[in-house]
Amino acid sequence: MTWVGRRVRPLDWDDRSAGRTLFTADLGGDHLVGRVLRSPHPYAEIVAIDTARARRMPGVHAVITAADFAPDALYVHRGGPLSDRPPLARGVVRHVGQEVAAVAAETAAQAEAALRAIRVRYRPRPAPLTPTAARAAGAPTLHERTTDEPNVAMLLDMTWGDPDAGRAAAAVTVEGSFAYPSVSHAAMEPNTTLAAWDADHGRVELWTSTQAPWFIAKEVSQLLGLDHDDVVVREGATGGGFGSKSKASEHEVLAAALARAARRPVLLALSREEEFGSNKPRHRFETHLRTHADADGVLRALDAEIDVDNGSYNHMGSSVMRVGVITLGSMYRPDGVRFVSRLVDTATQPGGQFRGYGTPQVSLAMESQVDEIAARLGLDPIAMRLRNLAPEHAETLCGYRVGTNRLGDCLVAVRDGLDWDVARAAARSSGAVRRGWGVAAGSHGSGAYAYEQANRSDAAVDLFADGRVRVRHGGSDAGTGQNTILAQIAADELGVDLGDVAVLSMDSDRTPFELGAWSSRGTHMTGSSVGQASRELADRLRRLAADKLGTSADAVTLRGGRARSDAGDVELGDLVDLSGEAVDGAASEPVLSHETSYLLEGTEMLAPGKDRANLSPSYAFAAHGAVVDVDTRTGQVRVADYLAAHDVGRAINPTAVEGQIVGGAVMGLGAALGEDLVREGGRVVNPTYLHYALPRNADVPSVRAHIVAGHEAAGPYGAKSVGEMSIVPPGAAVANAVADAVGVRIRELPITPDKVITALAEQEGRRRRHGIWRRPSRWWIAAIRALYPLGLHHVLDRWGTRLGAARRARRHDPAPPPEIRMPADLGEALSALRSPRAAALGGGTDQLPDRPRQARPAPVLVAVGTLPELRRIEVHRHEGGGEHLHVGGAVTLAELARHPATPTALAEAVRGIASPQIRNTATVAGNLVQAKRCWFFRNGFDCYKRNGATSPCYAILGDHRFQHAAVDGHRCQAVTPSDVGNVLPALDAVLTLARGDGSRREVGASAFYSGPGETVLRDDEILVAVDVPLPAGRRSAYTKLGLYTGDFATAAAALSVVVGEDGRWHDVRLVLGALAPTPWRLTEVEDALRGTRPTVAGVRRLVDRVLDAHAHPLPRNGWKLDAAAGLCEQAVEEIVTGAAAAVPERPAVTPAGV
Amino acid sequence: MPQPHTLVVNGETVEVDVAGLPLLADVLRDRLRRTGTKVACGRGECGACTVLVGGRPTMACITPAVLVREPVETVEGLAAESADLRAAFADSGAFQCGFCTPGQVVAATALLRDGLPAADEDRRAHVGHELSGNVCRCTGYQAIVDSVCAVAAARDGVSS
Repeated sequence: MTWVGRRVRPLDWDDRSAGRTLFTADLGGDHLVGRVLRSPHPYAEIVAIDTARARRMPGVHAVITAADFAPDALYVHRGGPLSDRPPLARGVVRHVGQEVAAVAAETAAQAEAALRAIRVRYRPRPAPLTPTAARAAGAPTLHERTTDEPNVAMLLDMTWGDPDAGRAAAAVTVEGSFAYPSVSHAAMEPNTTLAAWDADHGRVELWTSTQAPWFIAKEVSQLLGLDHDDVVVREGATGGGFGSKSKASEHEVLAAALARAARRPVLLALSREEEFGSNKPRHRFETHLRTHADADGVLRALDAEIDVDNGSYNHMGSSVMRVGVITLGSMYRPDGVRFVSRLVDTATQPGGQFRGYGTPQVSLAMESQVDEIAARLGLDPIAMRLRNLAPEHAETLCGYRVGTNRLGDCLVAVRDGLDWDVARAAARSSGAVRRGWGVAAGSHGSGAYAYEQANRSDAAVDLFADGRVRVRHGGSDAGTGQNTILAQIAADELGVDLGDVAVLSMDSDRTPFELGAWSSRGTHMTGSSVGQASRELADRLRRLAADKLGTSADAVTLRGGRARSDAGDVELGDLVDLSGEAVDGAASEPVLSHETSYLLEGTEMLAPGKDRANLSPSYAFAAHGAVVDVDTRTGQVRVADYLAAHDVGRAINPTAVEGQIVGGAVMGLGAALGEDLVREGGRVVNPTYLHYALPRNADVPSVRAHIVAGHEAAGPYGAKSVGEMSIVPPGAAVANAVADAVGVRIRELPITPDKVITALAEQEGRRRRHGIWRRPSRWWIAAIRALYPLGLHHVLDRWGTRLGAARRARRHDPAPPPEIRMPADLGEALSALRSPRAAALGGGTDQLPDRPRQARPAPVLVAVGTLPELRRIEVHRHEGGGEHLHVGGAVTLAELARHPATPTALAEAVRGIASPQIRNTATVAGNLVQAKRCWFFRNGFDCYKRNGATSPCYAILGDHRFQHAAVDGHRCQAVTPSDVGNVLPALDAVLTLARGDGSRREVGASAFYSGPGETVLRDDEILVAVDVPLPAGRRSAYTKLGLYTGDFATAAAALSVVVGEDGRWHDVRLVLGALAPTPWRLTEVEDALRGTRPTVAGVRRLVDRVLDAHAHPLPRNGWKLDAAAGLCEQAVEEIVTGAAAAVPERPAVTPAGV
Repeated sequence: MPQPHTLVVNGETVEVDVAGLPLLADVLRDRLRRTGTKVACGRGECGACTVLVGGRPTMACITPAVLVREPVETVEGLAAESADLRAAFADSGAFQCGFCTPGQVVAATALLRDGLPAADEDRRAHVGHELSGNVCRCTGYQAIVDSVCAVAAARDGVSS
């Protein structure tokens, strides 16, 4: 074969990489803008909805509620008693963010104003927000379910094989509880639908970001009371799916219903906040597992009890759970498996289908325990897995009839590729950073029989008279490379050049039946159907050619775009007219079309009473090896190297396969190390890329793919699936590597620094005591914190927030866009700032995105970013000797970092801020005055600082592990977010503030902040310059802990010293950032170090003493004290032995007269 | 009341109305129909909207058009300059869905103009750090870094 097995570029690479490919939101035309009104409550009765005012507003063409759908309209999903979700809330809301109403208007601003004009009266109900709460006795129930247990949507209680025999044979048993978090797909293209209603024919056309057009048409048609064929999905690019776009997810039907009501096309695109906060993330699994193995390390039995957090509605949770538990019986060869698994309703966003589909969650538990057993038995983790391999061509406990299984080769590839035996046997570092190696294995099906007719795929292939070929299929390539491999297959079967093959997908008018790209169907199902269609067409062409050339069909081969035989050749295109069947295509050109239906045999569906099934035609396997560095000072885990070895059968396009492997592995590393949808009161607190710690480029320096050569007879051209397989092993691989590095077993992902530090402290028996009882200044705060869980939080949240300014502002129309003034010079700017409620605008990177959440955003913004006086950065020499760096307030962060005189600590701090794009725009002054980064404050919570004194601080009971104060917290637990602000006090910088009346004042950097992200700057004042002294012989360092590259500091340390020739430290400054409400200078430590030759350990002891004496952490952020002390160690190390030690920032000048 | 403002986009001078404080991304996409610039977060956090302003990578989704005084280059305008980079992307699997790709290409184009460090290991770390403002959810970044390094080497006339 010429094309199958070869590395080829994606078909449309040139357009796609140049931005010419059109995604749904890129489609032009005259359309309305749709917006969705969402529930603010996790569980509430809707008492009344009044849309009258919204309907009358200018530009509004449609407002829809549940009343616009049939009274029994529900998403079908899996049908029967499991269908429970209406397209818009009907009488009850069951999660924050549930769709209540939708509007279509001429502009986005009009649509947003209309949302605010809809009045909904809710009667809140107590809401069960976690599986534990939902299963507790007396918990309020969300739905009527068919199980005997409240809030349990489905219960599986099953036994496969003979677990009793396995347990009896066991020499070792390990037991533990594991949790895999609720993580977001975060596909780069937000879910978007453009709907056009054809009133004459009662049809709707959809351009929608989907992996499965057929399912969209099915759901939209039945919800709108249309025939399936009257919902026509058109082709368009889909910007990543990862499962999320494989089922209808509200925007499709809402856009269609709005278009029908408005009689105009409507574009409905979810915002990123809606994607994170309201869409359907991975189901969180809490897995309690007991694994039994015999003395040889052979797994004999597994006992599991699993709670799957379903969220508020069934969105494939039942099948995610079934596939998840299958993990236990699919890969190794235990005697038996027993599990009880519950799908638990909670009043949170519904879980949804996500790459891996339950397998990564259960695999975390199983693969962690394989390592625990290996450790108990003194076995190498790879060797132990090799002892447990299941045979090829055999049936597993869960009923899979596995064909090829090259897991052993995958494990060996990891062992060789990571130099496993040698590297692990080498002496381990006893230093602060410890290296560990971890492995995990996994398996996944290829095109599971998970739905009626999922064993069928139809496809068509067209041949045009000019020799071009077109493949038509009803699936959708959301970025997997499916279309390209289908073209490769058609090119080979028809003997044409790949460049002559095009692919038409998705369009439900023009493509045959196919369920779409989910459940790893793409390669097996459409690869098989397109292959079959191409072969059948090739047979027809050979017969036509044989007739024309006067030979037999057997003697004809198709090659190079021609039918060739000993009797002569003919162009394939010339056969089109000869066929007699050629029909006019859409472009009214002759075309020979061939359509076929591929029916997969030998697979079975799970069904009530049938709990073992051969779901897939083939099964993929993989082993991943992780090499991690764990910094015991900060708890940070970095992946130094990662190798993913996969058994994919034969790779049809190896580049695309490697892309699926590396991409899935990195997505899995995100869940292993940072990603987690954190909720408070059922509302997601991190619905932004800024607060959702997914991997950035620099976070994954080396991830490698290895394809184990193979051939699967059951697969098309020997291929198996790959896209889902790659996300299964990373969780356990990393957890096992961390355990190997530092000897602590972390069972709940993500493995964030707090968990590592906490586990290490426990391991070492360290505990900090802060003696709050003898610090009267903290008694009041301690008392308030104690009252929060006793009802204070509830009262403030439920009633106090109603009195607040932000809450009131949301009842009115959104504030109009501000007026921008462009002053010519500083004087003009300052006088413009004297007008009430005018604010200075620098780079705008923080202020502008935050405006929608401000209760009273400034109506006038004075642009100061280009004022010449504020743009200067230069070294000033003093008359009496010495110099300082003068930095204008509007100098950008990038310019500051680039300047040769910028002290190391300051340049290092700037390098770690946000992104190059932000650093190119954001100003020094803007960075210093930016508002706090607390995720409650930033993301729509009506907190004390946003909404006023009668509102609670959500951090006290909410998740405060990363962003909140552990020292000196008061009513607001936030901290000052500015990295520049953390460094300047260590450099004795002076800030110059100018006022509208022309006066100026200077403020020392240590005195600039008055509270968390709050400064002494007055309303009519701006920060015009920062002056940083540049003393001779100074060295400085800035160390910071964040969850990803560019994150705000979870903790930071700025250290500046002047080192004498004798190595003694003079003029020591040490500032801790993100630990107290304002940058915190440790003057006691500075004093103690002055004139000494410090060691890392010595500084650590001093810092610890001060931390113990001053800290007052919240229940879950005491670990930040350890991390901050660790960052001080890192900073000292940089100055004593690191790069900063080599050269002082400014040459040491011998003062005159010495 | 219309508020005219002059922008230079891909070398072409255009007059746009900036009344109502439209963002650069919206002006490019909706008014000038240059939809290569994508919007994926609207908060300047993911880099899909990256354009060059005065040659510097900038988040167009949070930049008011009225503040833009320097020439703007979008992925459409950089298609020729980035032809070798885009081909390297295609060969190495540096994009899958392609939604973040225009932003990656724009940011990488600026990076290549500035030049990369000489040493190989420094190059990868530098490229990774400098492209960390561009989130990609499909590829896991390795092929993106590979492509940029390979193109830099090829442009230097050094075999990679």
